[in-house]
This record gives sequence, structure tokens and C-alpha cells, in this order.
Amino acid sequence: MKLLVFHIGVDRYGLRLRDVVRVVPLLDLKHLPLAPEPVVGLMDYHGASVPVVDLCLASGLPPGADHFDTRIIVVDYRAPEGTVHLLGLRAERVQGVQEVRDDQLTESGVKAAPFLGQVAGDARGMLQMVELEQLLTPALRIALFPNAGNAGSADDSGNLP
Amino acid sequence: MFKDLSIKRKLYLGFGAILAIILALLIIAYNRFNSLSEANQWDRHTMDVIQAIDGLRNDLLQVQVEARGYYLTGTAARLDRTRKEQRDIPESIQTLQKLTRDNPAQVTRFSKLESMITVWSKEVIESQLVMREQLGNAPGAADAMGKTPQLASTANSAIGEIYKFMDDAAAEEHRLLLERSAASTSLQESMRLVITVGGMACVLLGALVAWLLVGSLTTPLTNLTAAVGRIARGDQGARAEVLSNDELGKVTTEFNRMAQSIQDSQAKEKAVSDELRAKVDSLLGVVSKAASGDLTGNIEVTGSDAIGQLAQGLDRMFENLRSLLNNVQKAGIQVTTSATEIAASAKQQEATGIEQAQTSVEILSTTKEISANASQLLKTMEEATAVADYTTTATADAQGNLRRMDSTMQHMVSATDSINAKLAALSEKASNINSVLITITKVADQTNILSLNAAIEAEKAGEAGRGFSVVATEIRRLADQTSVSTWDIEQMLKEMQSAVSASVMGMDKFSEEIRRSVGEVRQVTDQLSGVMDQVQKLAPQFDAVLQGMQSQAVGAEQISATMMQLNDATQQTVESLKATSEAVHQLQYAAGDLQTSVANFAVAV
Repeated sequence: MKLLVFHIGVDRYGLRLRDVVRVVPLLDLKHLPLAPEPVVGLMDYHGASVPVVDLCLASGLPPGADHFDTRIIVVDYRAPEGTVHLLGLRAERVQGVQEVRDDQLTESGVKAAPFLGQVAGDARGMLQMVELEQLLTPALRIALFPNAGNAGSADDSGNLP
Repeated sequence: MFKDLSIKRKLYLGFGAILAIILALLIIAYNRFNSLSEANQWDRHTMDVIQAIDGLRNDLLQVQVEARGYYLTGTAARLDRTRKEQRDIPESIQTLQKLTRDNPAQVTRFSKLESMITVWSKEVIESQLVMREQLGNAPGAADAMGKTPQLASTANSAIGEIYKFMDDAAAEEHRLLLERSAASTSLQESMRLVITVGGMACVLLGALVAWLLVGSLTTPLTNLTAAVGRIARGDQGARAEVLSNDELGKVTTEFNRMAQSIQDSQAKEKAVSDELRAKVDSLLGVVSKAASGDLTGNIEVTGSDAIGQLAQGLDRMFENLRSLLNNVQKAGIQVTTSATEIAASAKQQEATGIEQAQTSVEILSTTKEISANASQLLKTMEEATAVADYTTTATADAQGNLRRMDSTMQHMVSATDSINAKLAALSEKASNINSVLITITKVADQTNILSLNAAIEAEKAGEAGRGFSVVATEIRRLADQTSVSTWDIEQMLKEMQSAVSASVMGMDKFSEEIRRSVGEVRQVTDQLSGVMDQVQKLAPQFDAVLQGMQSQAVGAEQISATMMQLNDATQQTVESLKATSEAVHQLQYAAGDLQTSVANFAVAV
């Protein structure tokens, strides 16, 4: 299984490559005043407006700094209803793709943030999986995608497997 | 007590006593006169009563007469007259009763008489009258009447009783009259006695009062006169005795006080004159001592009176005289001392003149030595001039070298400026390289993202994309390498830029130092020029010194000549000093004479 590796704070995290749509450089975002906490703005992705969530803010850390390898990872977010939405994740130090075997993954055993999954260890230290489905809380999900039921089929039919 | 009264009161008292005695006598006499006049009134009263009794008898007789007339004539006029007389009788009796109200015996007697008369009048007169009326004008009526018992018998009739009774009353009154005239006679006797005895007592008392008054007035005056006589005769202690407290007593007291004060003032005057004499004596003693030349006498008389002021004046005069003589003595001593000192200093001056002469000779020899030294100095100055010339040439050489150094420094400054310009160009080039590097970094970054996305796409393509995935990884590696190299170049460029900046700063500092050195070299050159000028100026100054030396030698000779003249003058001074010495000796003798003449006065107090 291949993972896209990035940092939240000082620790390394991985995202399944099948969920990733595209990695884009850091660009100017349209700000959303009075938006919920982790949402930092809207981005224009080939004409579609995509909400962007700062992973640092989502993890309860201070907002991430603008480094040269700070990127926006565009992912397919599958809601529990089955609809799929494009979602931007602001991540620091996006390093590249890494192969992780399934037997390397073990349960962390510690109840932390809901979106943190299994961990794997290697020469460069521990790496923890980010479970995309658990990333947004129900309230945040309704705030970001209010009409999930009827809007998803028109836009995202092409991206479905 | 009588002594304490004043003269006025004494007089009042004396005359008052006389007046009181006369008044008492008068009151007694008045009382006696009153009693006498009362007695006289009683006498008259008794006479009145007797007269009234006579009146009543007369009335009764009148009635009888008229009644008998009627008996005889029987005329109505006679009857009327009888009736009229009858009516008068009660009135007369009432008058009597009124007069004898004070005598009850007489009153009862007269009331009895009244009833008797009433009875008589009714029984005798009325009955006969009625009888005569009845007879009327019948002839012989008068005879008939005469034969009636009432008229016939006179002895034993009622009227006889009445007359007897009345005589008794009159006898009683006569007895009273006798009694009363005896009382009035005794009264007159006692009054004569009172007037005689009282008048004599008055005269005696007046004489006594007069004697007392005269005694109290004349005795103090006599005393006073005697005291005045004694004082006039020279008895200062004579005093009048104070006998009473009245005005004369006060006069005596005041006189005594006056005599005392006169005595006191005379004693005081005597004391004052004694004191004055003592003061004058003491002054005279001091003045006599002063006249004989002894001024040490001290005046001990003080006071603000004429003698005191005279004493003060004398004291001041003696004080002034003493200080004057003291001053004269001191001046004499001072003159003597000064004369001695002058003589001594004249001798000293003489010795000094001789010493001066010797000193002139020594100065002469010294002057010769000075001229010898001056010629030696002259030689030394010539050597110094030569050294100064050499110094001048050496300084000129040093100046030339310094000028060359200055031009070299100027070259160095220009070279430094060109190096600076080249370094600036180098810095600009480095900046250009930097911009190129930024472009390369951006491209590498884009490539990185591209390779990442390619890897993602390859992964999504599954087996078909495996080869592409390898290519993408390779591209990503290249991009990373490019990034790393670019970063290295960037670092090197930064180091180079900092080195260039350091060089520029160093060059700036260096050129600054060179400029400062050039300035210093110029300063040194200028100073050397100044030194040279000074050295060149030395030569003429040395010449001036030489000339000075020569003129010094001439001056030394002139000094010698002057010293010779001075020697002569000193000799003359010594001679005049001897003459002064002589004069001072004479002054000393004169001062001695002054001292001895002043010493005759003793002035030490």
C-alpha cells in the first residue's frame, strides 16, 4: 500500500494514495469569514470551488507556517451517506510517496483524535495513518456540504470507481 | 472737755448759758403774773356777784314800791309797772345763778331764794294786787289796803326772810373776797422774791462765764508771747505750751513747728558751711602742693554744686597738666634717645662709606674679569653658528624625502579607489546569479510537485502505470538533487557576497588610513620647514649676541671709571657725616637739659 507522507507539527503522517486526487502548490485562498475553526478558505480547482481544511488546526495545533514544501492535497472525501466531495487539506513538508506493507501496520492502542489510525515504524521513525472518513465531525460536514444527498451525483460521478 | 472746744463754740456756749438763765427767770415771772391776774379776776367775779345781789334787792324794792304805789292810787299804769318789775326778778336770779355756777353752796342758796321769791310774789304781791283790783276806785281803798296783815306787820313777813337770806349770800361773798385778796397778796410777795433772787443769780452766772472765756483766750496768748520773747532773745529751744485744742492751740502747734524748722534749717546751714569749708580746705591743700611743683595731689571733692564743678575743673586741669608734663618728659627722653641713635647711625654710615670705597676697588677687578669672559664667549658663539648652518642643510634633505613619500601615498589612494569599483561590480554580478538561482529553485519545486502527481497517477493506473511510476520517482529524485545543488550554490554565493562586502569595508578603512598618513606626512613636512626657518633665523641672532658681547666689554670699562668717581663721592660723604655727628652731640646736650628741668615736676599718681 502506498502512502503520501507529510507532517503535522513535528510528526509524520500518511494518507492512502488512492484517496489523493492531486497535490498542488500553496496558493492564495478565498477566506471564509465566520467559518468553523479548521476551515481556512476556498480554493479554485479547475473551476470548482473546494473548501480547504488546515490539518494543524484540525489536530489542535497552531496554524501551519508557509514553507516551500507546504502543499494543498486535494482528496476525495466520502461522506457516510455515500456521496463523494472534493476537499483540500493544507499539509506541511509533503515529502513524497512511501510503500508500507500491511504487516508493518499495527493498532496504536491509544484513543486520540478520531481521524488517527494505525501506526508503522521504519528507519525514519513512526508514521501514523490518517483516516479520511473520520476527519470531519458531523457538524463540520453539514457546514461544508449542506446538500450532500442530491449534489454529489452530478459532479463526482466521473471520479467514482 | 471745755479745752477741746473752739473759741467760737466757747463764746456760743458762754452767752447761751447767760441767755438760758434769763429765759428761765422770765418763764417763772410769767407764770407768777398769770396767777396774779387770775386772782384779780376772781376778785372781780366776787364783786360782780355782790353787785348782782344788790341788783336783785333793788328789783325787789322796786316791786314793793310800785305795788304800794298801786295800792295807794289804784291806777292801771302803776299796775303795769308792778307787773313789769315782777317780770325782771327771774332774770336777775338767773344772772346770779349763772355767776355762781362754780360755787354749789351759793347755787342751792339762790334756788331756794328763787322759790322763796316765787312764793312771796304769788302769796303776798298777787293776792294784794287782786284785793286792790277788787276794791277798785272805792274810797278808802288805800286805807283798807294799809290795814292788811301783809302791809301792817313788817317784822315777821316773807320779804324779811328774803332780805335776810340775801344778806347771808352777800356775807358769804364778802368772805370769799377777803380770802382771795389775801392769796393775791401772797402771790405778789413770792413774785418779788423770785425777781430779786433770779436777777442776782443771772448776774453771778454771767460774771463766771465771762471770767472763764477771758481765761481760755488770754492764757495761750500769754504763753505764745513769752515763747516769742525767748526766741527773740536767742533761745532757739524755746517752745510755747499747748493748753487747748482750739484755734489758739493750733496756732501754738504751728508756731512750735515753725520754731523747730527754723532751728533745723539753721543747723543744716551750719553743716553745709562746714562741708564747704572742708572742701575748700582740701582744694587749697592740693593747689598749694601743685604750686610747689608736686602735681601728685588728688582732688577728692565731688558734687554738682559750684565747689564740685570747681573741683572737677581743677581735677581736669591737673590731669591735663600731668599728661602734658608726662608728654614733655617722654619727648625729652625720646629726643635724647633719637639723638644717640642718630649719632650711632652717623658713625655707622662713616664706616659704611669706608667699606664702600673698598668695595669699589673690588668691583674694578671684577669688571676686568668680565671683559675676559666676554671674549671667550665670543669664540663659543662662532662655533654655534657653524652647527646651525649644518642643521639647516640636513633639514632641507628631510623635506625632499617627505615630499616623495607624499606622492607615493597619493598613488596608493587612487589604486584603492579602483579596487573598490571592481568589488562593486563583483557584488552586482553575484546578485544576478542569485536571481537565476531563484528561477532554478522554482523550476525544481514545480518538477517536484509534477513528479509527485505523476506518482499518484501512476499508482492509480495500477499495473499499467508501474513503469511510469519508476520514471516519476526518478524525476523526483532529479528534482530533489537540483534543489540541493541550487541550495549549495546559493550558500556559496552568499559567502562570496559577504566576503566582497568585507573586502569593500577593509578597503575603505585602508584608504582612510592612507589619507590620514598623507595628512601626517604633510604636517611633518610643515614642521620641518618651520624648524629650518628658525635655524636660519639663528645665525643673525648669534651675530647680535656677538655685538652685545663687544659692547659689554666697553661697558665694563665704563663701569670702572664710574666706580672711581663713586669712590671720591664716598670720601665726601664720610666727611659730611662727621659734621652731622657733631651737631647731634649738641642736640643730645639740649635734650638732657630739657629732661632735668621737667623732672622737677612730680607727676606720678
